[in-house]
Amino acid sequence: MAKKIKSNVEELSNTQKELVFQKSEKEKLAAELVIAKKELSFLKKEKEKRLAELGIANKELVFQDEEKGKRAAELGIANIELAFQDEEKGKRAEELGIANIELAFQDEEKGKRAGELIIANKELLFQNQEKEKRAEELIIANEELLFQNKEKEKRAEELIIANKELLFQNKEKEKRAAELIIANKELLAFTYISSHDLQEPLRKIQTFVTIILENESKNLSEDGKYNFGRMQMAAGRMQQLIDDLLAFSRITTTELKFEKTSLSNIIDQVKAELKDTILEKKATIEASELGFVNIIPFQFRQLMYNLISNALKFSQPDIPSHILIKSILVKGSAAKNKKLSFVKDYCHITIKDNGIGFEPHFSERIFEVFQKLHGKEVYGGTGIGLAIVKKIIENHNGVITATSQLKKGASFDIYIPA
Amino acid sequence: MSIKPLNILLADDDMDDCTFFKQALIDFNIPTLLTTLQNGEQLMQLLSSINKLNGLKSLPLPDMLFLDLNMPRKNGSECLSEIQQSNKLKKLPVIVFSTSYEKEVVNNLYQNGAHYFIRKPAEFSQLKKIIRKTVSFIANGNTPERTRENFVISLQKG
Repeated sequence: MAKKIKSNVEELSNTQKELVFQKSEKEKLAAELVIAKKELSFLKKEKEKRLAELGIANKELVFQDEEKGKRAAELGIANIELAFQDEEKGKRAEELGIANIELAFQDEEKGKRAGELIIANKELLFQNQEKEKRAEELIIANEELLFQNKEKEKRAEELIIANKELLFQNKEKEKRAAELIIANKELLAFTYISSHDLQEPLRKIQTFVTIILENESKNLSEDGKYNFGRMQMAAGRMQQLIDDLLAFSRITTTELKFEKTSLSNIIDQVKAELKDTILEKKATIEASELGFVNIIPFQFRQLMYNLISNALKFSQPDIPSHILIKSILVKGSAAKNKKLSFVKDYCHITIKDNGIGFEPHFSERIFEVFQKLHGKEVYGGTGIGLAIVKKIIENHNGVITATSQLKKGASFDIYIPA
Repeated sequence: MSIKPLNILLADDDMDDCTFFKQALIDFNIPTLLTTLQNGEQLMQLLSSINKLNGLKSLPLPDMLFLDLNMPRKNGSECLSEIQQSNKLKKLPVIVFSTSYEKEVVNNLYQNGAHYFIRKPAEFSQLKKIIRKTVSFIANGNTPERTRENFVISLQKG
């Protein structure tokens, strides 16, 4: 552009030098000058236009330079950026390497896992087979259980029936118990009748017999007198039987009240009651080592009365009666009796006499009701006395035994809980 | 009618009952020989001596035995059992003679081989009649068949 401008300036100076040459040719060239002037003004105008355009173009250039600078700065920044990105790429590559190692390790692990899976699968298969077996066994077991349940139900039904039966039996037992109470009451009533009503006609027979024997004796033959005498005796015997039976029944129907009682006291009472017989038989009663015993006093008094009066009754005709009574504390084992506890303490009471005794084989029979060893003409009595004795001992939860030999006295051994 | 008296045994501990029995046989058209025993022990001693001596002295069995039940030392039932255990003694007609009548006791006696059962009547005339009736049965050999129905002899029947 600067060159173009310079060439234009030279052209202009050449034109002026021609004008000075041509002044002479002024007239000739006056016309040409006006034209040329016109042309020059036009050119001037064009020049100005070009100059304006040059200013604009300069301004444009300056702007373009500024832009270039800006681009260069941006390039610098972009280069820095690229360098940073390269660095990052390196880092990523390193990380990738590590990741690859990791992947390789994981592959290996996967292989191991696969092996293990195969084994596990085999194990599962086996377990499945076992499960099927178990399932079959369970079916059988279930069937068994079902059967057992049915059996249980049957048993339960049977139990219900058995329970009903038991209930029924319990009710029956209650009924029986109630009946027993009634029966006992009836027995007591019977005892009462026996003791009163039954004795009344008997007493009348005895009264009438004595009236006849006292008032009509002279009118009777010897046979007649004998028969009346026998009648009197039979009536007296019946009186004795009723009395003894009543005593026997009282032993079971009366209330059993135990008390610590002195045996000596009881024996003294009995001795007082039997005073006349003792004198008659010239008897001695030796009682030693007697203490207190837990007994039903009135029953034990009757027991002692029966035993001592028996000893007096069955004494030997020509020998004074001697009765020895003693009481000691022993263990049950000493009694050698199955009915006693071996370890408990017992009171062992012995009543020993020197009377006629009896053959050993009668030692149990003598305690039975109505059992007698002698005819009633020889030794009176009803055969109830020792039965009462045995009952009393049973009421005391004890035992009584008798030992004897004919003509060698008798010994009664009593064991009652101490 | 036999000239030889009937040999009758009576085992009874009651003295009065023995007297009644003796009196019942006084002036009876059948001659009798009564032996009384006071208890079962005496009876069995006598019977066993007859049993043993039989071969030597040829002692015959008595013709009949009247047996009381309640006796000292050995009772009537025990005697009956012992009698039935001997082949010889069991041929002896046993008439049980008792004060009381208990059906169960009577059944047992029948089963144990007694011939007849008599309940002792209270009236002497009745007692005499029933003793004589029973003795005649055996004396004349027209004893009723031994059945449970005929077992208890009473005055009402025949």
